[in-house]
Amino acid sequence: MSWLPLAHALAARQDLPVPAWLFAWGASIVLIVSFFALAAAWRKPRFERQHWRALGAGFSRAAVSMPVQAVCGLVGVTLLGVAVYAGLRGTEAPDRNFALTFFFVTTWLGFPFFSALLGDIFRPFNPWRAFGRVAGGAFRLVAGQRPAHLAYPERLGRWPAAVGLLAVVWLEIVYGSSGGVAVGLDPHAAGVAALVYSGYTLAMMALFGVETWCERGEVFSVYFGMFSRLGAFGVEDGRLGRRRMLSASTSWATIPGSAAVVIASIATTSFDGAQEGAFKGAIESVFESLADAGLGLNTALRLTDTIFIALCFAGVALVYLLGVRGMRTVQGAPSLAKLRDGFAHTLIPIALAYLVAHYFSLFVFQEQAQFGYLLSDPLGTATTDLFGTANSGIDFTLLSANAIWYVQVGALVFGHVLGLVLAHDRAVAYWSDYRQAARSQYWMLAVMVAFTCFGLYLLSVSNG
Amino acid sequence: MTIPAAHVGHYLWVFYLLPVVIVIGGILRSVLLEKRRRKGDD
Repeated sequence: MSWLPLAHALAARQDLPVPAWLFAWGASIVLIVSFFALAAAWRKPRFERQHWRALGAGFSRAAVSMPVQAVCGLVGVTLLGVAVYAGLRGTEAPDRNFALTFFFVTTWLGFPFFSALLGDIFRPFNPWRAFGRVAGGAFRLVAGQRPAHLAYPERLGRWPAAVGLLAVVWLEIVYGSSGGVAVGLDPHAAGVAALVYSGYTLAMMALFGVETWCERGEVFSVYFGMFSRLGAFGVEDGRLGRRRMLSASTSWATIPGSAAVVIASIATTSFDGAQEGAFKGAIESVFESLADAGLGLNTALRLTDTIFIALCFAGVALVYLLGVRGMRTVQGAPSLAKLRDGFAHTLIPIALAYLVAHYFSLFVFQEQAQFGYLLSDPLGTATTDLFGTANSGIDFTLLSANAIWYVQVGALVFGHVLGLVLAHDRAVAYWSDYRQAARSQYWMLAVMVAFTCFGLYLLSVSNG
Repeated sequence: MTIPAAHVGHYLWVFYLLPVVIVIGGILRSVLLEKRRRKGDD
């Protein structure tokens, strides 16, 4: 393999017992049945309160104690340093360099998966947060006072993170494309990008404060933190505790721009899945028009992909806003703005489902490289073998094409059912009459069915 | 006569769109019935 297959999930041709489109019908039926079951049996909100309970007294404090955070922060800073160094000094072969797999597979895909199960595990390992806190502490020691920060413009909310998320994916799958072939970003560019992002993040932390920026503008904290709200573990008052799964998500979208973050996640995954499948013909057509208009091949391709990412973002936002608008027509509905923000968290399981469906196989295969030859030979120069695994390979027989398809379908159906559950729960909190609440969810059912069928269509075309 | 099915693969998206159309159709029908019922009550 001479390039990283970042464009979409790895899947060979399947041998399914029924046509792939029948799975979309089956998934739609599951969603409709779930909708009626919720309407009949779920009459009171259950996720508005987290029911947080501390884990064992000593453990709950020790797990988030300063020494533990210091060790985790050090690990985060070290790994970032290794990845940047590998990017700048290692081989230019993307599949042999530690940096690309570490940034775009292990971190970018791994943290969402594990955060959704375990809570915000990125927070202690966040290298910029660790660095910022140390710098803040040093400032206090030297100056004898806390660093003064600017007040963060509240209206800006999480918009910097939404734009940053689009930029990260743009860098990975648009900037990294050239000449009509997805070759992946070259490691040197990834290393430089990581350095630029580090400088930008540390400057923003100095301006607005470490925690404020992590909560609102730092792309990775906001993005991984969003998925962590689905998980069963969370920190309150300096203690680690258990909470009702999904419940923390209900308070996530109270900051402006949160809806844009989750929409950007769904849109970018959709684009990545569709660019070599469902959208291939349209992309080629626009690309040829731009190239004929005199643009260079790389510029034309990047501009085409950028247009399609923007269209995906607009499309996903439009479907969601139509659902919200539909809810507004139901008697007793709150304002449009309240509905728009109040239901944004229901898209988080869908964003996760799209990630699992599109990248599950890539993650399983590429992590064998990460913890095998890339760990032993991070620079890819074939001169080091730190752990004796530099000659290991990737076992592509680990997952069959059918197994991948069933995981994809299962993830999409499960994610959308969770989305329906969260939406129904929020509706019974907003509407005093549960029948009106159920009626309002007709529209979210349409949104969920649309996203499910679209997701399955993208996968069926890219799996070919 | 041979069925001209060579390009049928290009139209598979219709099968993915149909469930969405059916659900939206059902919703619109239900909303219209509800409106008509409310008008009748008035």
